[in-house]
Amino acid sequence: MSKHPSSGRYAIIGLGVVAGPQPDHSERMVATEAARRAIEDAGLARKDIDGAIDLRRTGGAGDRANYTDAYSRLLGLRNGFYFTVGRGGALAGLGIATALSFLDRGIANYICLMGAVTDWSQAQQSRKHGHRGMVHAEKAGYWGKPLGDLRAVSHHSWMAARHMAVYGTTSRQLGAISVAQRAWACMNPEAKMYGRPITIEDHQNSPLVAEPYHLLDISLVSDGGIAFILTTADRAKDRPKSPVYVLGQGFDEVSAELWWEKKNFTHMAVRSAKKQAFGQAGLRLDEIDCAQLYDCFTGEVLFQLEDYGWCEKGEGGAFVASGAIGPGGSIPVNTGGGLLSCYHLGDLTGMAEAIRQLRGEAGERQVKDCNAVLTTGHGGELLSPGMCSIHTCTLLGRHP
Amino acid sequence: MSGAKVIVSKEPWNKPLPNIDQDNAPFWEGLRQHKFLVWRCRTCGASYWPKAHCRNHDNAPFLENMAWEEASGSGTLFAFNRHHTAFHPGFKSEIPYIYALIELDEGPLVSTTLVGDKQPKDVYDVGQKVEVVYEDHPAEGFTLPRFRIID
Repeated sequence: MSKHPSSGRYAIIGLGVVAGPQPDHSERMVATEAARRAIEDAGLARKDIDGAIDLRRTGGAGDRANYTDAYSRLLGLRNGFYFTVGRGGALAGLGIATALSFLDRGIANYICLMGAVTDWSQAQQSRKHGHRGMVHAEKAGYWGKPLGDLRAVSHHSWMAARHMAVYGTTSRQLGAISVAQRAWACMNPEAKMYGRPITIEDHQNSPLVAEPYHLLDISLVSDGGIAFILTTADRAKDRPKSPVYVLGQGFDEVSAELWWEKKNFTHMAVRSAKKQAFGQAGLRLDEIDCAQLYDCFTGEVLFQLEDYGWCEKGEGGAFVASGAIGPGGSIPVNTGGGLLSCYHLGDLTGMAEAIRQLRGEAGERQVKDCNAVLTTGHGGELLSPGMCSIHTCTLLGRHP
Repeated sequence: MSGAKVIVSKEPWNKPLPNIDQDNAPFWEGLRQHKFLVWRCRTCGASYWPKAHCRNHDNAPFLENMAWEEASGSGTLFAFNRHHTAFHPGFKSEIPYIYALIELDEGPLVSTTLVGDKQPKDVYDVGQKVEVVYEDHPAEGFTLPRFRIID
């Protein structure tokens, strides 16, 4: 298939990860450290970085840009621009699309993109006041708050519930997603749940939070930061680490059609995003070696497996129950453990894992001959009742 | 609407307050008067909730071809979850509670909690007819719309 001229012309050359609870560090210091590590990993100096993007959940749901200082200033970069990008869990995908427009015109040569959170540390504090889960609940102004719609699970669980009602999907089938991703996490020493395998029975016996979702259907609350350095393909060639090329990107919105068709509780806005990204890359779905699918809850993984076409709509339950997405399966999904079992840094979790898989740095969990990885982002519910998300698709490759 | 079921709450309100803003104030005033309003297009009759431009054709400036109008207050159960966790201390006495998507007879989806004796048995048990129940909070001056299963 023919490729778009932009495909393979930009590459990720550095990755910096700060993982695990960070009770002794502020969010801005976690951010700064992640950026420092990415620059070091790229074999660059701080003076080389001429653009900085801060990936934040600000749009739609999530936190505001309530930083008091930017990581670029704290790190002493000589960047020509710094600003925030992101919406819900769609951070890296939107950040890459933005950065390319600066690289394309030679405005910048090396751009640092970084996202950091201290959700876990903040949740420990808020627990003392009787609140549960993420601190930044739905904002003031959200319709459902007085009715008990207080966290993402309060409305994301409708997606699983509706899919179950329409297609007969079962909680045990959703549990197969948790089990598969936990198996991957048990091969990733960086994962929060490393060394803690689970079974379907563990999933079924975990507490019901918002039925049909059990605790083990829900992503983790995490601290940490992930940064990466994006440059042009010609500059990427002589760096210490193998470049990871951006092959294609696509975007779609639930508000375009699905919301009006009331299909936003059984589908994600994949159609246009897939067409755009695969069209640019000149790739077919069966050429994808592993997928890093946004997994705030198990339902989102199920929907995307169907929406991308690894199985038919409504057959996702049987597909995951067959072992297709775990180690040894036909399409390895969320090979680092994902948001469910590794850590929750939005789509940066999957982006970092994709980079490691394409560099051959994934250790015990390395997917053999990994040449092309699909990563997705999702989030930023804009309407009441919710689930009016963006979907981002980014295809990354080992070769341009 | 006459004959609508009404609950008058005397409990002090210890939960998040409703968000009442310029765009939805008429809707909340409708609830106080025990009317369930939807945002309707006067050009083609299509109904929306929350307030939005009509998708079917061009609109007058600031949506002046549209207005809040009384709806039937009935619909069907589209999907629901059952909260077993109180994320806010005010909901500790409410759990487990059912938070549901209601498909109004006029088309739009709204979300609220289910009240009443008839409760769905599991998440597969949807499609029942439901109607609005007005829950007045006179001390705070607002009315919340709950729904109940009627068949």
